[in-house]
Amino acid sequence: MSENKPNTIPLPETAQSDIDEIENLITASVQLAPSTVQPVRPPSPTPPPPPSIPVSTSAYIPPNIPPPQNKPAFVPAAPQQPSNVNSNANAGPKPVIPPRSNMTGFGPPQNTLTEPVWETVKRDVMRIVSNLKLVVFPNPYREDPGKAMRDWDLWGPFFFIVFLGLTLSWSASIEKSQVFAVAFALLATGAVILTLNVLLLGGRIIFFQSVSLLGYCLFPLVVGAFICMLKDNVVMKMVVVCVTLGWSSWAAYPFISTAVNLRRKALAIYPVLLMYVSVGFLIIAIN
Amino acid sequence: MDLNPPPGENYANPRICFFHVLFKAGALAFYILSALFFDSFVIIFVVTVLLSALDFWVVKNVSGRILVGLRWWNEIDDNGESVWKFECLDQESLARMNKKDSWLFWWTLYLTAVVWIFFGIFSLIRFQADYLLVVGVCLTLSIANIVGFTKCRKDAKKQIQQFASQTIANRFSSTIQSAFSVV
Repeated sequence: MSENKPNTIPLPETAQSDIDEIENLITASVQLAPSTVQPVRPPSPTPPPPPSIPVSTSAYIPPNIPPPQNKPAFVPAAPQQPSNVNSNANAGPKPVIPPRSNMTGFGPPQNTLTEPVWETVKRDVMRIVSNLKLVVFPNPYREDPGKAMRDWDLWGPFFFIVFLGLTLSWSASIEKSQVFAVAFALLATGAVILTLNVLLLGGRIIFFQSVSLLGYCLFPLVVGAFICMLKDNVVMKMVVVCVTLGWSSWAAYPFISTAVNLRRKALAIYPVLLMYVSVGFLIIAIN
Repeated sequence: MDLNPPPGENYANPRICFFHVLFKAGALAFYILSALFFDSFVIIFVVTVLLSALDFWVVKNVSGRILVGLRWWNEIDDNGESVWKFECLDQESLARMNKKDSWLFWWTLYLTAVVWIFFGIFSLIRFQADYLLVVGVCLTLSIANIVGFTKCRKDAKKQIQQFASQTIANRFSSTIQSAFSVV
């Protein structure tokens, strides 16, 4: 959008006011319902705040097909919670500067549409690390579970599940493929079904958030499996698995329990613990 | 959509196009050929799914942005509700996009999904549950990207139309007003 002010030809007065009026209307309409990409505040080098405010947004009321986000691997046909209409109107005073169309992607990043590829990679990796830290390690944000998993992503869980499957498969002396397939399918469907369980119990949690959470809480068990793979001593395995199982459960507990109301807490927690216990047994029993 | 690339232009971003196609083709090729070389299902699974996931990431974050100027993601706002965001470049930049690039983008996107569906049917007929798992995962990734970008495109078109009609309507009404005021 460019300025429409004619500056060479002296126009009759009515035309001038027309043009001004149009411009005002354009500006006003842009402020109400942004329809072009505005340059965003320069993206902060550290990731956690959600990326640029996109201008050409529309809140999407999901129909029956929920397009999964960043990481897939387990995608379901389960409905999501309806999203509220979010008119992300970044109404700056001068919303008319189009972003520099630097299509090669290497240039000053003005919004996420034109950022260099490295930025995106770094952002995603940092997000995985920060999610891991928030979920699995003690930190002050655990008091408010809703906030902690705000920036969910499914890449972390994907890598953990694949790694766990690989570790179990490596430790197995026979039927390696089956072990891997079983572990992967078990964990993937388990995460989905557990999330459905929480949702059906009337819990307030977002589907992908919960799947992501359950995946991240696998991290201790992955570590345990790796240790067990290195040293094949039954007693040591049992100790390691018990410790990591306790750690996983401790990590998952606050998120799940705050999502449902008090009387149904046990109903929601029990299957999660059951799944982790079964994974623990898999780790011990593999030889 | 026509079957042939638009003539008279070259690819504006050949490297991005290459990567866009590379991982898709890699996943498909590995899936087909691996049975000849590896008899371990685990390797087939892991490599195919890894290539597919890489492809998903590349398409979503890199080639979608650069080849067609669209992007989609999900955010959780302050109320704890999940919101899907769709982003597109403004109209001038969109109009300046290379036609060949976007032709390649959309065609390979749809084609890959169709091929995976075909493989899925194949493994269903043969009752191979584990290969069905692989195909299922890869198909899910492809369809996710297709749905996301199609929504972006629809959004972009709708917003352009909206804006155009709004501007026209405003101009029209103010012309009429000025016409009346003169009279």
